[in-house]
Amino acid sequence: MQQKRYKPVLLDYILLALIGGGILYFYWQLENELQYEWDWSAIPQFILRNKNGAWEPNFLLEGLLTTIRLSIWATLLACLVGVIMGLARVSQSRFARMVSRTYVEIVRNMPPIVLIFISYFFLSAQLTHFFALDTVAQEMPAWLASVVSVFFSKPSQFTQFITGVITLGLYEGAYITEIVRGGINSVQRGQWEASASLGFNRFDQLRMVVLPQALKVIIPPLAGQFISTIKDSAILSVISIQELTFQGLELMASTYLVFEVWTTITLMYLVLTLGCSMLSRWLERALAWKN
Amino acid sequence: MVKSFVRTVLALLLVVTFCLPALAQNVMSDLSKESVISKVIERNKLRVGFSTFVPWAMKDKDGNFIGYEIDVMKELAKDLGVEIEFVPTTWSGIIPALLANKFDVIIGGMSVTTQRNLKVNFSAPYDYTGIGILASLKKGGNIKTLEDVNNPDVVVVARIGSTPAAAAKKYFPKATVRLFEKETQCVQELMTGRAAVMLASAPLPAFKAYEFPKKLFVPVKGTFTKEPIAFALRKGDPDTLNVLNNWIQIKHDSGWLKARKDYWFEGKEWESQLK
Repeated sequence: MQQKRYKPVLLDYILLALIGGGILYFYWQLENELQYEWDWSAIPQFILRNKNGAWEPNFLLEGLLTTIRLSIWATLLACLVGVIMGLARVSQSRFARMVSRTYVEIVRNMPPIVLIFISYFFLSAQLTHFFALDTVAQEMPAWLASVVSVFFSKPSQFTQFITGVITLGLYEGAYITEIVRGGINSVQRGQWEASASLGFNRFDQLRMVVLPQALKVIIPPLAGQFISTIKDSAILSVISIQELTFQGLELMASTYLVFEVWTTITLMYLVLTLGCSMLSRWLERALAWKN
Repeated sequence: MVKSFVRTVLALLLVVTFCLPALAQNVMSDLSKESVISKVIERNKLRVGFSTFVPWAMKDKDGNFIGYEIDVMKELAKDLGVEIEFVPTTWSGIIPALLANKFDVIIGGMSVTTQRNLKVNFSAPYDYTGIGILASLKKGGNIKTLEDVNNPDVVVVARIGSTPAAAAKKYFPKATVRLFEKETQCVQELMTGRAAVMLASAPLPAFKAYEFPKKLFVPVKGTFTKEPIAFALRKGDPDTLNVLNNWIQIKHDSGWLKARKDYWFEGKEWESQLK
């Protein structure tokens, strides 16, 4: 089916004018009412800096990279937790169902910031104690330290980073649990019964019949959940994990370039999340084709 | 069954009682082994918690930390012969973070208060600060004296968990107090005219009034409190406290502290490093 070119009508122009007017009004307010002194010239150097002729990321870009690393690891963990808990959610064992239900309800009904503080002050102390993470991070050989810096964070901030990943992973995991459960429930009852009548045991029914069909329903919302994770990672700034929002707040405290820094951060998040959402739309279409 | 249980418990108690004197002997050496300062030397790294606060600690344009506190931390680490690790932390959670062992000591322009002292130990003061007042020309143009501030119509802003926040409630009980996470937000409130007065540790009021003469001014010059500034560390650690106190005394007597303070607080030649 060929799509027709959309012809703009009067209402579109009016809306466009209203939006443009709104932006202009905001700007006018800033200029005249607040007499805000814009200083955009200072911003680029906080993104990239030139050190002895070589360009390297300065702390805003480093913050963005930390946000990306944090979101990727947290999503991986959340997927692991989500799949296990999601399967438990549809399990025949009452105990497994109760455990996963409790997890989902607790996490989803708790403000994420509370969860973050709890895990920062309790979980991370336990982690450091039992796994001696601090010492491990401290005594890493140089080559391992540089690998860790690329994939995780600087060794000195390793414990913080892991706490952040675990907290965010557990938080997002509850939502992924529900996505997985929804996916499995979307497969018709008849599929279970048919495979049971062919002599498959419960595990094989899941593995060979139900999950392959459920996966198509599960994957598109997972991409959406990844975008949520990126946005939610901003809350981790309260426990001093040096991601984009934290770096931005620090920069504002030093330079007082409030509007410039917030605008820059917004744009950086937008580039990241819009990129991901385009990718997820492509993925969705690719999966639909296979149908 | 019951009899054998009682016998076992008694035997265990006996063993414990005999061990007690031996334990007492080890307490002293354990205490010094467990002290923060021994740990710092052992791992060759001093972890310091602080929060961004111009000109105490801030980031320069290369992303390095600079400021008065940063100089103090570096000098302390140099004299201890260890490396330094900066742990920038949000101010409102800095004491819990210290207690949760996220770093060894707070060197962040922290004023000594009795309330804080109940949770952490403070070193001898290495500096003094005071609270100054900054006002918005638009909203607080009529404020001439401190008494003018104590009025329900006056909106006073300060940073959460800071001594200015406590002072706002103590000295101006009638005023409307609003608290924010960062100094930046407080200054922004004044600039937009949503708040009339900001309380902050010196030298922020004077610096900001100088920077934005068209919008901000200092109605009452100088500071109206005097607060000792000290290092904060976890309780139950006499060894570390002793090292820090004596270090401060040495640096005070040699004039080093005063020289660094003058550099960061009297002049502004460091400003070009910021942006």
